[in-house]
Amino acid sequence: MEHIVEILNSIGDFFAVVFKFAPKFDQAIVYTLELSVFSILLGTVIGLVVTSLKLTKLKWLQKIADVYISIVRGTPLLLQLYFIFYGLPLIGLNFDALTSAIIGLAFHNGAYISEIFRGAIVSIHYGQDEAARALGMTKIQAFFHVILPQAVKQSVPVLGNQFIIAIKDSSLASVITITEITLTARQFSAATYNPFPILFVAGVYYYIMITLLTKLLQWVERRLSVNER
Amino acid sequence: MNDKVMIKLVGLHKSFDELEVLKGIDLEVHEGEVISVIGASGSGKSTMLRCINFLEKKNKGDIYIDSKLIKKSSHDINTLRAKVGMVFQTFNLFPHKTVLKNVMIGPSVIKKADKIKAKEKAMELLRNVGLEEKADVYPAMLSGGQQQRVAIARAMAMDPQVLLFDEPTSALDPELVGEVLQVIDELAKSGMTMVIVTHEMGFAREVSDRVVFLHEGKIEEIGTPTEIFENPKSERLQSFIASIW
Repeated sequence: MEHIVEILNSIGDFFAVVFKFAPKFDQAIVYTLELSVFSILLGTVIGLVVTSLKLTKLKWLQKIADVYISIVRGTPLLLQLYFIFYGLPLIGLNFDALTSAIIGLAFHNGAYISEIFRGAIVSIHYGQDEAARALGMTKIQAFFHVILPQAVKQSVPVLGNQFIIAIKDSSLASVITITEITLTARQFSAATYNPFPILFVAGVYYYIMITLLTKLLQWVERRLSVNER
Repeated sequence: MNDKVMIKLVGLHKSFDELEVLKGIDLEVHEGEVISVIGASGSGKSTMLRCINFLEKKNKGDIYIDSKLIKKSSHDINTLRAKVGMVFQTFNLFPHKTVLKNVMIGPSVIKKADKIKAKEKAMELLRNVGLEEKADVYPAMLSGGQQQRVAIARAMAMDPQVLLFDEPTSALDPELVGEVLQVIDELAKSGMTMVIVTHEMGFAREVSDRVVFLHEGKIEEIGTPTEIFENPKSERLQSFIASIW
């Protein structure tokens, strides 16, 4: 009996801390959202550009795209962020922490997103391109009117996955001094010597964001699949 | 059919790496003429057809459309393709567009046609193939035969001077073959110039003005359906005919 009371008490204490600190994450949430949204949008733009480079017939442009993708995929994001924030100033390129983080995350996501787009494009049956070209379309017309719309639709589920990863990866920006959710949680933990309720709060915030994004993506997917049956 | 030559192939050669598929094809197709191309698998029927609109790049030889020599420039090729429609074995409709949009896409993208006119015309073409009521559905909701009829309407929307058919009924369930052949037959009667690669011998015999028998990349025999099917001269054609009846 005494034991049960003890447990109930500690649960009570736990949630007292949770509710005390939950509202104090407002600025942190803004940072995390900023990092996520910008790295996703910029990453998508970079992804489109890099995919285009890979689809050109110019070997040296393809090569640039290949080198970029292999560097991003071949090294940890954490190191990439360190490099941009602490390394680039050594050659005179100074960015503030937030800009560095957004550049780093977008640069990172762009490589994966470009591979997602490329995979979706090559998955479109060649008969589609042939049918468009046989009507008299130029390569570019066939690409924009026939291939790309189908590829975008095709890529949504995988792209969504990458967007979710992007939200979680934004937590790595904590290592370059940005007080987004993760770093904020660490600071509160250090101040209170009571890390678990605070990390719990951080986890709940990530979970809510990702769940909302997932719902949004499911909606988009449903909208896009109207022509399937 | 008249004397005007619509397609002229001179010494057409095509190889895929080591494999020589077309070994010198000479053929003239007149305006309004319907030509069926028959032959065993691998005889080069489809390759010949695909060379005519440059979906395959010929290695040697000349192609004239409407008396104009087609060069390899992309401008020439795109212009040629707008004049020469193609219908594929696997339909290749655009799944992300409705039936109506499939038919409209050629004129609106390539000829920048007026939207309202393009739509009117597309509806008329759909009426001709009996699919007016399917205008707003997506291709995935149609049967194979219906899809192929839409594909024919899509090709017709560009006002082609020639239509090429690459085994238009080979991917269809047997009960759906008839509706597609009927549409092709109506086009033939309307005076459309057509080259049809087919395995439907009965249809080839009925609809064609001339039949081409290809064997190992060469025209082995060419003649009227009666000549080809009832009086085959070459031994190979005789045994081909014997094998399919």
